[in-house]
Amino acid sequence: MDKNSGQSIFARYRKIILAVILFVVADSVVIGINFYNTYKADESAVSINLSGRQRMLSQRMTKVLLLLQRSTEAQDEEGIVRNLKELDLTVNLFNTTLKGFRDGDMVTGGDGKPAFLTQVETEISRQLVADAYTIWDRYFDLLQPLLKNSRHYNAAQLEEAVAYAQNNNLEVLRLMNDLTTDLEVVANKRANMLRMVLIVGFVIAFMNFTYTVIVSIRDLMSGDRKLAESRNENVEILATVHEGLFLLSKDKKLGTQFSESLPRMLHREIKPGMDFMPILQSMVSPEIYESAMDYIELLLGERVKESLVTSLNPLTNVPVNMVDKFGTVQNRYLSFFFNRALVDGTISHVLVTVQDVTDKVLLMQQLEQAKSKTKIEIEALLRLAGSDFASLQQFIDNTGQSLSQINEKLSQPQEDERARLHTLNYIMRIIHGIKGEAAVLGIDVLENYAHESEQELVAMRESGHGVSGDQILRIAVLLEGFYERYSSLAAIVTRLADALGMKKAEPPPMDGAKDDKYAENTNSVLQTLTPAEPAQHPFVGHITSLAQRIAADHGKQIEISCQLEGFSSLPPDVTQELQGISIQLVRNALTHGIEIPEERVAHNKPKIGALCIWCKYLGNGDYDFSVRDDGRGIVPERLRNSLVKSGRLSMTEAAALSDTEIAKLIFQPGVSSAAVADKDAGHGVGLDAVMEKVKAIHGRMRVRSSPSMFTEFHVQFSAAR
Amino acid sequence: MKSINDNDIRSFVDAVGSFFFHTTNEKVEIRAAYLVEGEIQASTFDLTSYITLSGDFSGRVYFSAPRVMVAHLLLAMHELERDDDRLLDAVGEIANTISGNARKHFGEAMQISVPVTQVTEHDWLNSVVSPHSYVILVKWKQYRASVVVDIQRTA
Repeated sequence: MDKNSGQSIFARYRKIILAVILFVVADSVVIGINFYNTYKADESAVSINLSGRQRMLSQRMTKVLLLLQRSTEAQDEEGIVRNLKELDLTVNLFNTTLKGFRDGDMVTGGDGKPAFLTQVETEISRQLVADAYTIWDRYFDLLQPLLKNSRHYNAAQLEEAVAYAQNNNLEVLRLMNDLTTDLEVVANKRANMLRMVLIVGFVIAFMNFTYTVIVSIRDLMSGDRKLAESRNENVEILATVHEGLFLLSKDKKLGTQFSESLPRMLHREIKPGMDFMPILQSMVSPEIYESAMDYIELLLGERVKESLVTSLNPLTNVPVNMVDKFGTVQNRYLSFFFNRALVDGTISHVLVTVQDVTDKVLLMQQLEQAKSKTKIEIEALLRLAGSDFASLQQFIDNTGQSLSQINEKLSQPQEDERARLHTLNYIMRIIHGIKGEAAVLGIDVLENYAHESEQELVAMRESGHGVSGDQILRIAVLLEGFYERYSSLAAIVTRLADALGMKKAEPPPMDGAKDDKYAENTNSVLQTLTPAEPAQHPFVGHITSLAQRIAADHGKQIEISCQLEGFSSLPPDVTQELQGISIQLVRNALTHGIEIPEERVAHNKPKIGALCIWCKYLGNGDYDFSVRDDGRGIVPERLRNSLVKSGRLSMTEAAALSDTEIAKLIFQPGVSSAAVADKDAGHGVGLDAVMEKVKAIHGRMRVRSSPSMFTEFHVQFSAAR
Repeated sequence: MKSINDNDIRSFVDAVGSFFFHTTNEKVEIRAAYLVEGEIQASTFDLTSYITLSGDFSGRVYFSAPRVMVAHLLLAMHELERDDDRLLDAVGEIANTISGNARKHFGEAMQISVPVTQVTEHDWLNSVVSPHSYVILVKWKQYRASVVVDIQRTA
């Protein structure tokens, strides 16, 4: 656009430019003519003046001759000398002036100074000068003896000169008189011409001025009309467009024009020149606001290319809280798009386009939920196809029970902070168990959700502000999220069990439930139809694949030895707890214990770590269940530092405890020696959950460890309790 | 599928809290939040009021409180009459406040019925609410009341 306007400057102002050129040319011509005529007028003035002087000189010559004759006769020496001198001067002046009229020459002017006398121009004047010369040639010859103060003339010569002067005096006077008249006529003509030129010049200048004014007014009116049309188009566009449009200045103020939809979209009155940032700040979270501020600064700066920062825009699909004119809080999603507006290659503004993308975002969320549900169903299908049905069935039963346990705990009013914290730890242990079991079966959707929930709960516990009523409500909402995922999984397992002709246990009745969808989904219990007891418990395969997966995720290599002697003959509730214990201990072993190959090699250990999960029958109904790894071991000093750093112990308290006492603290909720928490460990939940499970089977936990050598957890219990 | 979140639920509970705070200058605290499921039932008290929502969300929000708690509330409000009609009016007022907050929270598109009030038996709510409705037990003074949120997204 700028380039076009640059090219069309001459075209746009062509008429005015031509008018100005015409004005300059006309003025120059008039001034030139005027200057020439002024010069000529000067010449005419000299000519008229000198021709008038010729008249005077002709009379003076005659007079001086007569006076010289009288002085001569009276022998008045003084008179003779004076008159001769006078005559000489007069004759010379007359002669050179007449010559000037004829040929053009330098003469003595009226003021005694040299002046250039131009040759007469008209035919009349030339004839008058020629006629004058006819008389003057003879006259000048007769005067020669009397000139130059010569006293060598005689009376006859004087007499003849006087006689000639008397005879021609009138004629010379007439000729010079006529010459003067003719020169005056010429001067008048020239003056008339000058007047005419001035009049013509004035007329041209006036016409030119009138033309310029008319053209300018017409152009201005045309420009105004186009501007008005353009403004009307802008107004129409801004009134019609659905998006919120406005320009943002470098000081982050709104421009003078914005689309009519903008106030509606932002749910507030918008005025030109308003500060944009406070408006934005009132709508979005502080984090998004900070990012948006940085982003807008980047866009308004000249250093960064727009295309490079577009992807950094933090204001796409951003949730905003808005209060409308009725005071109604509305949760909407808006997208703000920013484009630099350049003038002569420099950023002048940023064009902001605001779109209400609420419907789109909600649709995306619904799609995401549908996808999540589909994923659950597909995962269940894959589990059924590639795994044993009994484990999946067991998982569904266990998870249903776990969720009910959480809900039951939540339904008990929590009167004090300690009770709430106790409830929170209880729920965390259960969720941790669900996470572990889901991980064993590879049900990512539940594992991931359990992990996300666990992180939220850890944040609540670690906030140091206690568990608030709002947080209790949040836990209930998280529980509903579990139920949604669990129901989808249970429903598909039930349908597939039906399709495969497997028997299904009757779901327990659900009091108060009017919608039997949940009853069907949440309580479906599938019977194992495995024809014979496998040689190896299915859990061996599950825990082995889980361990390999976690090892791979952490870049570690392991060799697993898993021997579960008599495992299948244990009561189901005991094997269930032992499975939960082993899942957590394996996670811990692979996260904190076994080192990465490079570290192991550096400590002169085999590159591949060893992980042993054993269950030994000790006789008399007693069992020893153990998980052992040959990793870093429990390092009391590191644990001590970790406890001090997390604020659980003061330096003095930590120093006062023995290594054994410090090591025992790993079973307390929230205690972890991991530097970084991840999906597998580090939240201080796992060993707390392990201890609860050990208590559930009335077992006893024993830990052996040697730094840089091994860690060994033993659970001793009796199946005959 | 329920798609309401804790903010949605909190808007109802906050309304109850706001009512009590403005009338008695005392706060209401959440003591428990759970889902209606199997043996775990919604807490029904002597007097219950509810509003019915339709639009992008549909369902009902109930407020149920023991008679003694509402009577104490009227006392705190310097009301002399404390018969059943007056007690039901009070729980109706609380449902009205919930309605106002719901309108603010969900916007103008939400249609909300006038509050309905009734004297209720101990398990009445269990016979009317959907499984997995949210039950939030709140405490004012030494009393407990329940806010039961049984709404689902329809749009």
